[in-house]
Amino acid sequence: MNKYIKIVLAFLSFGALCATTEASIGGYISASDKKKFLSTLVKSFTIELDDISKSYYAAKGYKILNEVVPKAYITEQCAHIKQHYKATANVEVLFNALNTWSLLGCDGKLHTDDTIASINSLLQNEKSTTADIRYATEILTQLKLQIPNPAKVAQLIQAKLKEDDSLASIGQALHAASLLGNAGKFAHDRIEDVIVQADEIDGKLLQWEGGLTVTSLLITGLLRLPGATPFTQVQADKFANYLLTRKTVQTPKGILSLLEAAVALAGSSVSPVSISIIGSSQVPQDKPELRIQVSDVFGQPLKPVPSPVIAQSATRISDDVVVLAKQPLISGKTSTEFVLTLDKLDPGYYRVAINAGSHSATITARILGLLTINSLEIGLTDADGSSAPKLSKLSYPTKLDSALKADSSQHLLVKFSISRPVHQAFLRLSSGKKEIVFLAVPDSNKGYKVEVNVASQLAYTGNFDMELILGDSIITNPIRWTLGVIDVNLGPSDSPAPRSLRGPKPEIKHLFRPAEKRPPEPVSLFFSGLTAAPLLVLLILWAKLGINFGNFTGVAIPFHLGFGSILGLFTLFWLKLDMFKTCALLIPLGMITFLAGHRLLSSIAARQKKTEKADK
Amino acid sequence: MNLILLFFAVITTAYAQGPTLVLLENQVIKETHSIFFRSLQERGYTLTFKIADDSALVLSRYGEYLYKNLIIFAPSVEEFGGSLDLKALTDFIDDGGNMLIAGGNGKGALTELASECGYEIDEEGTFVIDHLNYDVTDEGQHTKLVIPSSNLIDSPVIVGIKRETAPLLYQGTGILAVPENPLILPLLTADSTAYSYNPNQAIDEYPHVVGKSTVLIAALQARNNARVVFSGSLSFFSDEFFTSPVQKAQDGELVAVSGNQDVAIAISQWVFKEHGQLRVRSVKHHRVGESKPPQAYTIMEEVVYTTNIDILEDGQWKPFNANDIQLEFVRIDPFVRITLQRKPTGEYEAKFKIPDVYGVYQFKVDYDRVGYTRLFSSTQVSVRPLQHTQYERFITSAYPYYTGAFSMMLGVFLFSFVFLHLKEDEGKKTKHD
Repeated sequence: MNKYIKIVLAFLSFGALCATTEASIGGYISASDKKKFLSTLVKSFTIELDDISKSYYAAKGYKILNEVVPKAYITEQCAHIKQHYKATANVEVLFNALNTWSLLGCDGKLHTDDTIASINSLLQNEKSTTADIRYATEILTQLKLQIPNPAKVAQLIQAKLKEDDSLASIGQALHAASLLGNAGKFAHDRIEDVIVQADEIDGKLLQWEGGLTVTSLLITGLLRLPGATPFTQVQADKFANYLLTRKTVQTPKGILSLLEAAVALAGSSVSPVSISIIGSSQVPQDKPELRIQVSDVFGQPLKPVPSPVIAQSATRISDDVVVLAKQPLISGKTSTEFVLTLDKLDPGYYRVAINAGSHSATITARILGLLTINSLEIGLTDADGSSAPKLSKLSYPTKLDSALKADSSQHLLVKFSISRPVHQAFLRLSSGKKEIVFLAVPDSNKGYKVEVNVASQLAYTGNFDMELILGDSIITNPIRWTLGVIDVNLGPSDSPAPRSLRGPKPEIKHLFRPAEKRPPEPVSLFFSGLTAAPLLVLLILWAKLGINFGNFTGVAIPFHLGFGSILGLFTLFWLKLDMFKTCALLIPLGMITFLAGHRLLSSIAARQKKTEKADK
Repeated sequence: MNLILLFFAVITTAYAQGPTLVLLENQVIKETHSIFFRSLQERGYTLTFKIADDSALVLSRYGEYLYKNLIIFAPSVEEFGGSLDLKALTDFIDDGGNMLIAGGNGKGALTELASECGYEIDEEGTFVIDHLNYDVTDEGQHTKLVIPSSNLIDSPVIVGIKRETAPLLYQGTGILAVPENPLILPLLTADSTAYSYNPNQAIDEYPHVVGKSTVLIAALQARNNARVVFSGSLSFFSDEFFTSPVQKAQDGELVAVSGNQDVAIAISQWVFKEHGQLRVRSVKHHRVGESKPPQAYTIMEEVVYTTNIDILEDGQWKPFNANDIQLEFVRIDPFVRITLQRKPTGEYEAKFKIPDVYGVYQFKVDYDRVGYTRLFSSTQVSVRPLQHTQYERFITSAYPYYTGAFSMMLGVFLFSFVFLHLKEDEGKKTKHD
């Protein structure tokens, strides 16, 4: 999809390359682009430690854009470069610093004899890379010094290219070769090879792998070679298109690369011609002036100015009817601006073929018109069509006075007629966060109809706001019209409330089992009294009968003690002892009691025998 | 009594800024989206740029993934190169890899991938169109939309604070997301007046997505916490949209810079798990007044549960602050659900009484909120019934039984005296005789 956006939308005008005449590109580096570039470029004027290299991007960029560098920056930079300049620095840094120095017009001479000596040695050094050689030759050329032994330097470059034939390396070599005069001729053999390596993207763009920096280096290098015409017009156009896609580049270095390449292309014999729309490709029907720019990639007038500039034809896209032919364009405010008046055309999309001299372009333009609503009727009808529908008329932007009351046996019907067909004709019913959109279908000429089966299509009970949305890409006044309220009653709804799957859940408290119900305390106490009563009765009766312990003897004491402690043990068992402890205690106690009881009984028996004997 | 103590927490690694593979449609995208990529690199991601149909693409080697994250900025790729087929990509997600995908045109590899993730991309050639909310720089088809930041999902973890965000620019396809799918989050939705259709064709059938249900950027957080963000617009992440001013064509309030950069970066921080990653650091539980967990709890005891929960912020685990974390005490069903209280020391605590039903229970913290990784911790404990000595004694209603038993015992004791030692009266004896 990005491809679609980038190509079709960003380069609408580029859409069709004309086969008969030479092509053109859509777009150019506009004033607003330049302003953006400047705001980025100026950042590299900020002083950073001992860096004297990066201010070159800004200085050179300003120069290309024909802008004056503010005074304050000039003095600051000159002082900074002077302070930190070292002849032993990297040759690229030297190149940048020396260039900035001359671009900013700083006073005096920056380079020293040491600089030149080290540069000369670089040109003889086998270990120099092509970039080193390029910057060295650039510096010498800039200082208007002879390049020592160009043939040998050329040989060195060729040797280096055998070691490293990356695109960046070749680019640097091309630059160096262009400065070597006749000795640099060898580079011509490389041109074809380099161009073959360029990647074509979607048939519209050409670039080299490595992005803007490498592409720019190669474009400038190839075009710099004296006597070379490396590109065809088509290739130049494609490179220009690539450069234009990179207008969003964010670094000062990238901007400079872009500008240098654009300058090189614009200055070449195959300078791409830009035929593009100024401002918007959409023109209102009441002032249908399409402003067209014919310029080079930099937005500068072409030399020679192509003429005549005519609109070869204009075709309505919807039905391919040619509505205009061979209409000359009127010159506009500037020398690059031309105005095409598209009078008496209906709103719509038009394909306009523009010829500027031998260059042509097809651009798509839109004529925008107003949308008016002729009539609208809204109402409810019976689903079975038994009774005539009662429709009320509305005029924009009023709405219904009272809510429509709908039930499941009815249809909601909206009919309207508008001045021209539109892309979007929706009826939107909304209630809270819920919204349901219905499509209006054209039913007769410019008439639209929406029919909503309340029971099956709406299927919710509630108050809905009704809204008509009309929109199209060629109308200037999209309409959003609130029609009123419809009160739908379909009986109780059984749809459960939507359950939220995230978020805190309701807290749960455990419900403990309630304690068993017990009789009230007085009742328990009363019955306790009752159960104790027999014992009391026994004691009272005994007292009345007159009991005595006349036969009590000392022999009985151990037995009663034993028996009492067994009962006591049972009480303890109830209160705290366990079975094992109880048994352990019960066994000796039981033995003792048994023996004591035996003794007691035998003594009682002996006594009774004695008494009986005595009685006898 | 058996001791069963299970501790399990989903802890994803703290190390998020991993190696990232960027699949591009062509090399130009690397440059047109340089701000976005630079922001990733500045945050410590190692980006490997590849063309999407490069025949040497591999995601894993010898069973080890080479990348933690995958960015696909290749809208019209028909088929990925190398070993990258649909299965490899879904496996990557299943194994916890994160993905950011932008663009798509209703055909080819991305569409299949999207439907694997639970959403659908509208057909080829369609755009989201809004005739009422388009930017002034729109090329005429009203597809360069101005989306108010209020249409962003209500989750600062994912998209940043939306009140402070400028309007967003969007140009691309619409996404259809099933609202019932709980794993899918609509990060950005269109306005009521929007619809998705081919701008060059008259509408003769119902558009696939219409109005507010048009999802522009959708996110998936899978059950394994892998995150996948799918944007219908590649330009959303472009330098051009990041830096351009926004002005609605209809009512024309000019905003100097769109909110795209803020939102895109926030989304990238979320999708690559810089934001919203939680973990359970510790879990403790014991009876009230004690400090160690018992072998087993007895029903109806008071218990204290404390946990420490951390969130990953700037690569550091820091205590997480929330007031809606809940603890469940579960035996098949939750018996107790209680909100954990945050103590000043940063730990979360809950006190409650164990239910009067014995069995094997779990302390469960299951924190699943929009934007955060799912936090799940479960600790198993057994709860046993009362011992025989632990029941109530001396119940009033049993007093009749007590008195009955004791009066009988006392009666027998007294009777033994009377029976053994009674000396019958001489007089009475004679009377009897």
